Amino acid sequence: MLELRNLNKLYSSIPAVSDVSFVARPGEITGYLGANGSGKSTTMRIVTGLIEPTSGEVLFEGNPTRRDPMVYRQRMGYVPEEPHLYTHLSGLEYLVMVAQLRDMRPKTAAARIHGLLRLFGLHGDRDLSISSYSKGMRQKILLSAALMHNPDLVLLDEPFSGLDVASALVLRSLIQELARRGKVVLFSSHELETVERICSHIVILHKGKVVADDSIANLRSLMELSTLEGIFSQLVVDQDPDAVSREIADLIYA
Amino acid sequence: MPSLGRLRTSSMRNDLAAEKLRFLVLYRVFLMRVIDLELLASDGDLTRLISQFMSIFVTISFFTIIPILFGAWNIKSMTARWAVEHFLIETSMTVAGLIAVLAWDSAFPDRRDLMVLSPLPVRVGTLFLAKTSALFAAPGLAIFSLNIFAGVGWPLAFVAKGSGFFGLLWAWPAYWLTVVLASGFFVFVMLTLQGLVANLLPRQLFLRVSAVLQSASLCFLLSLYLLEPSFRTPEALTAPQNQRALAWLPSYWFLGLFNQINGSLHPALAPLAKRAWIALACSAAGAVASILLAYLRMLPKIVEQPDILPASRKRDGLPRFSRSLPNAITVFSLRTLLRSRQHLMILGFYLGLGLAIAAGYVHGWVVKPSAAHSQWVTAFLFISILAMILVVTALRVVSSMPTALRANWIIRVTQTRPALAYQEAVRFSWLVLAVAPVLFFLSGAALSAPARPWLAGHLFAMLLFGVLLVEFCLYTFPKIPFTCSYLPGKANIHFVFWASLMLFLVLIHKSAVFESRMLHQPYQELSTLFGLALAALAMRGLVQRRAVNSKELLFEEAEEVEIISLKLS
Repeated sequence: MLELRNLNKLYSSIPAVSDVSFVARPGEITGYLGANGSGKSTTMRIVTGLIEPTSGEVLFEGNPTRRDPMVYRQRMGYVPEEPHLYTHLSGLEYLVMVAQLRDMRPKTAAARIHGLLRLFGLHGDRDLSISSYSKGMRQKILLSAALMHNPDLVLLDEPFSGLDVASALVLRSLIQELARRGKVVLFSSHELETVERICSHIVILHKGKVVADDSIANLRSLMELSTLEGIFSQLVVDQDPDAVSREIADLIYA
Repeated sequence: MPSLGRLRTSSMRNDLAAEKLRFLVLYRVFLMRVIDLELLASDGDLTRLISQFMSIFVTISFFTIIPILFGAWNIKSMTARWAVEHFLIETSMTVAGLIAVLAWDSAFPDRRDLMVLSPLPVRVGTLFLAKTSALFAAPGLAIFSLNIFAGVGWPLAFVAKGSGFFGLLWAWPAYWLTVVLASGFFVFVMLTLQGLVANLLPRQLFLRVSAVLQSASLCFLLSLYLLEPSFRTPEALTAPQNQRALAWLPSYWFLGLFNQINGSLHPALAPLAKRAWIALACSAAGAVASILLAYLRMLPKIVEQPDILPASRKRDGLPRFSRSLPNAITVFSLRTLLRSRQHLMILGFYLGLGLAIAAGYVHGWVVKPSAAHSQWVTAFLFISILAMILVVTALRVVSSMPTALRANWIIRVTQTRPALAYQEAVRFSWLVLAVAPVLFFLSGAALSAPARPWLAGHLFAMLLFGVLLVEFCLYTFPKIPFTCSYLPGKANIHFVFWASLMLFLVLIHKSAVFESRMLHQPYQELSTLFGLALAALAMRGLVQRRAVNSKELLFEEAEEVEIISLKLS
């Protein structure tokens, strides 16, 4: 179980996340939603340990992650929002390096890397430089790097970014399969339709604060709205989209 | 109502103002691109970096005029005068050439320029002008700084005899014009070379060859500067046996050119001055043609073809090591070194410098062809020590420059071992990548000579010295190679290195002489080895003590906490 307790993060006294608390349980997919700049990626980076919270703590299976970060990292897989990779390496070289950094057994690592590359349709391009990869191919490398050590906690920040339809369908099914096998999955996305389909639990963030933390079914009945889009719009969208679009059109015509 | 003619004039004036603004914006952007901003830390200051370089040149310039302050402006001997003139011209040319080589990647527009600028209403002419101006601004700034004192003081000593007050006034523009033309010549040559290869080869092949060409140009310029033979008398300049060498030494052509412009032309310099004008015209024409062709032919190619270096890379035959972390760090370092042009070039710079110094030491500075055996032994020892210092220093310097800062997150989220384990892995990688190759080449050189028992002792001393250097580098760089950001003003190793290079050379020579005496006295050699081993162990202890205290990896320079006592009690 992953638990975030009263997380706060200030950037030069400006709050990025304020008092964020929620729990992501094994076997369920927790959807983490919010508008641009709402603090989703900041929360994700705090959970991965890439940045320190100003206050609050992250607990994994009841233990603060800062107590033994080495053990925690061994059990965590993370796909970041942007596909930043060492582009002078080939896809295969990158994955081998990650396996070595994770201290995986060479035989296990080789089997998993080649298997993942084959299943993601990258085996033919494994020796090409990552600089020649498309965004979708880079995303698949990130997913492979995040999953190859069989982590108990899977953190996915916009994992569908750049994926083609077929790969997105595979990933969607994969996320569900990982949850079925008892993993904790925290999944951040802007694709409300996908979130609605695969997530059992939703956390919505607005201006750094949690404004909803419940199952989709409960949120629907509580807010008397039939879709996640409706729930999201009511909780997060401050502006009338039609009015804003009219204003933009007026502005460029002025 | 305004007339049609007036409207047209007003519209043209507006267009011109808009183009001027676009030019200025692009010029500033391209000038900044001479330095790769990706390398800078988030709080790295580009202005500070540029001012650091400029202050180095200004300092050098100041030192060059010290003799003038002590009355050297009245040089009687023609040879001495030519020596100073030649030194100043040659130094300016080399600096301009080196900066043109360093700014290699920014010579022509790249894919990023085109992707960003193509959708914008920017004329190719404006882009061309801005790029070219920025290209010449960087060496121009360096040459100005380098001659800021020398260009004021030394022309006083170069006034043509009997030219009177006008000659005194004319010496300054003559000097500055020569320096600008001579520096321009090397910049033109570099542009021509790059443009020629870019136009002749397919783009992907050009990108691959370009890195090698850039490193080779760097080594060539350094070697030329350090190894150029000296012809500073009318006899030497006119001797038939020297004409072949003079035909290939541009700094002497511009020595002739300066004396021609200055009105102090000696007949021996006349053919050289003529050669300078021809070379300048050819190189300028070559550079203009290259740039024009590059804009006309290369731009569409850049958009159509990706900047992928390896079209199909097969498995490289890199060595594999049993331990996973040292393997990961070593192979990552080696791949970065081999595939990153920037890192390869800096490494090439140090190696080229080492080669030039070694060649200079052997051919002329110390060892004459007729030298005794003991002098050759000293030369071998000198080259061994120099090679070890330069290779380890070069690796330390390139390691502090990142390859892709934003990709470092993977190293942080996969850190499952304490920082000490990473430091051991870095130590292993530096021993494998720097110390082992030097020892390998030294052993090869030693084996090719008749068997000498002292060689084993020397190789062992070199191993210990290499270990000591690696430990020293680890102490100053407790990070993973190629992953930390470059913070100008903090990573001062370049400046420390250059400031102490001359001192280093003297020390290396003394060490070589000392070791050559020790080698034939087994007990003293053993005590030297013992001393080196002890120093290496002590340094290792210091490094480990520091690493044990840190659990997390370092990627940025950490600011030390400053506690200021207010003394209120």
